[in-house]
Amino acid sequence: MSAARTPPSNQRQQGQGSRQTKPRRGARSQRTGVNSQLRAWARHHRAMALDSMRRLVRRPLGSLMTMLAIGVALILPCALWLTLDSARLLDAGLEESASLTVYLDTTMQESEAMQMASTLREHTGVAAARLVTAAEGMVEFEQALGLEDALMRLGTNPLPASIVVAPLDTSPQAVHGLSERLAEIPGIDEVRLDLAWLERLRRLAELGQRLTLALGVLFGFGVLLIVGNTIRLSVENRRQEIEVVTLIGATHAFVRRPFLYSGAWYGLGGGLLAWLLLGIGGQWLSAPVQALAQSYGAHFTVPGLDWKGSAALLVSSTLLGWLGGWVAVNRHLKEIRPR
Amino acid sequence: MIRFEHVGKRYGGRFDALANIDFRIRRGEMVFLTGHSGAGKSSLLRLLMRLERPTRGRILVAGHDIDRLHTSQIPFYRRQIGVVFQDHQLLFDRNVFANVALPLQIQGVEPQEAARRVRAALDKVGLLHRERALPIELSGGEQQRIGIARAVVNKPALLLADEPTGNLDPQLSADIMRLFEDFNRIGTTIMIASHDLALIARLHHRVLKLSDGRLTGDDATVEEAS
Ligand SMILES: Nc1ncnc2c1ncn2[C@@H]1O[C@H](COP(=O)(O)OP(=O)(O)OP(=O)(O)O)[C@@H](O)[C@H]1O
Ligand SMILES: [Mg+2]
Repeated sequence: MSAARTPPSNQRQQGQGSRQTKPRRGARSQRTGVNSQLRAWARHHRAMALDSMRRLVRRPLGSLMTMLAIGVALILPCALWLTLDSARLLDAGLEESASLTVYLDTTMQESEAMQMASTLREHTGVAAARLVTAAEGMVEFEQALGLEDALMRLGTNPLPASIVVAPLDTSPQAVHGLSERLAEIPGIDEVRLDLAWLERLRRLAELGQRLTLALGVLFGFGVLLIVGNTIRLSVENRRQEIEVVTLIGATHAFVRRPFLYSGAWYGLGGGLLAWLLLGIGGQWLSAPVQALAQSYGAHFTVPGLDWKGSAALLVSSTLLGWLGGWVAVNRHLKEIRPR
Repeated sequence: MIRFEHVGKRYGGRFDALANIDFRIRRGEMVFLTGHSGAGKSSLLRLLMRLERPTRGRILVAGHDIDRLHTSQIPFYRRQIGVVFQDHQLLFDRNVFANVALPLQIQGVEPQEAARRVRAALDKVGLLHRERALPIELSGGEQQRIGIARAVVNKPALLLADEPTGNLDPQLSADIMRLFEDFNRIGTTIMIASHDLALIARLHHRVLKLSDGRLTGDDATVEEAS
């Protein structure tokens, strides 16, 4: 292959240099040419992966600092994403929680209320309707507020019976229309829809998603800069080596390779540190968060990365490191011209 | 092997470092390039290594116009040329063996085959026993010989040397020239830039003389006569 691509013929030279071995070597290199090139390529990859690892280990403090900088940059978007994820704000099924609460007249008897519930079930645009009797409503109310006996002392139950209606069409306009139609039915006192709250939540979720994306891009760029700067320095340090190997026929890919591996190692190290710090941070926050949630009667565990999330974090940090190395070396390959 | 056709090289658009250079070197020749400092010797070699491009004229190597090489082909072109530098350009972070093995590593030669060839090259320059040494532990002459071993380890068709004996004593210079002659004897085309006129005169090879970027002498007759 190289003989075909390059002008001076090496063949003849080899013949002059070692007449005896020429035919044998020629035949062998033809048969296994591609194969041996592939093996050489893999060998160099392996060698450079190890070599760049060794270089990092040789300056442990500097390498650790770079990885820590990468780790810190990765933590913020990761933490935000985890928080949003656990708060279900990233849940696409958020709209399913759209429901209407129909409050019946306080004078209505329980049998009439049951009648009303089945009427509503037949109503067009209603997916489901669940009756909450005045007594049940009271129990829920007490539980939610943790006011066990306080309301008992009131003697009478001030709450009306209500029916929780799930609309078929959960788009804001449809839900709104349905509520207006339901409100006209005699016996229904008031229809409350949590659309405003839902809408706010949806906006919040969108904001959160965009924020995570923006921070992800921003801090990903930060990682590129951190790695790029570090690699830039090591390219500068190995300038003579680059010039010499370029002079004796190294391709750009060959020159680039060790630096790409350094970048990837930095990225992987940074990703691992971020993963570790996220874990430690989660542990550290979990006790107070759980106590806080319990005081509201809720159950909430501090989110952690599952194996998929961990893999995604490590893979993307490694790729970012690789890319940072690429950018840094390419910028400098253009500048470095052998003297 | 090498053909310069009315080659000119102008740096920065102001003056001609080389002008109207026209010569031909046959395969297997050994040629000296002389001239005062600034005459353009290094420039001519850099053109041959494809580190610079001529501003006019053509350079043919083995029949190919090297100015027409695509960027991706240049590394493969350079692999066929061995280069010896005045300041030998060894890498000080690795031992002699690794330095000499560098061109083979770049070409992806199998490690065993590479080791065999490195030892052969080191043996040729008489430094086989120093293969584990670091370049910094060697004398200037030894470093220069390691540089030569690296240049010849992949048996290039063409060997270029820019002041290979620049700061060596006369005895060492003569030894190194003898080394080049040995390589020339097995068929390598060699071009050596040097000021050392006394040494060149003793060696009876063709001499190209440059002055102020022009070819003012081509003493091809000496070799043909001998
Ligand atoms: N990159 C460059 N940019 C501008 N001018 C240059 C460059 N390289 C060489 N020159 C000029 O070209 C001329 C020839 O330089 P060159 O290095 O070829 O001379 P030389 O014969 O090798 O000299 P020496 O014996 O001192 O090494 C000099 O005048 C030099 O200043
Ligand atoms: Mg010079």
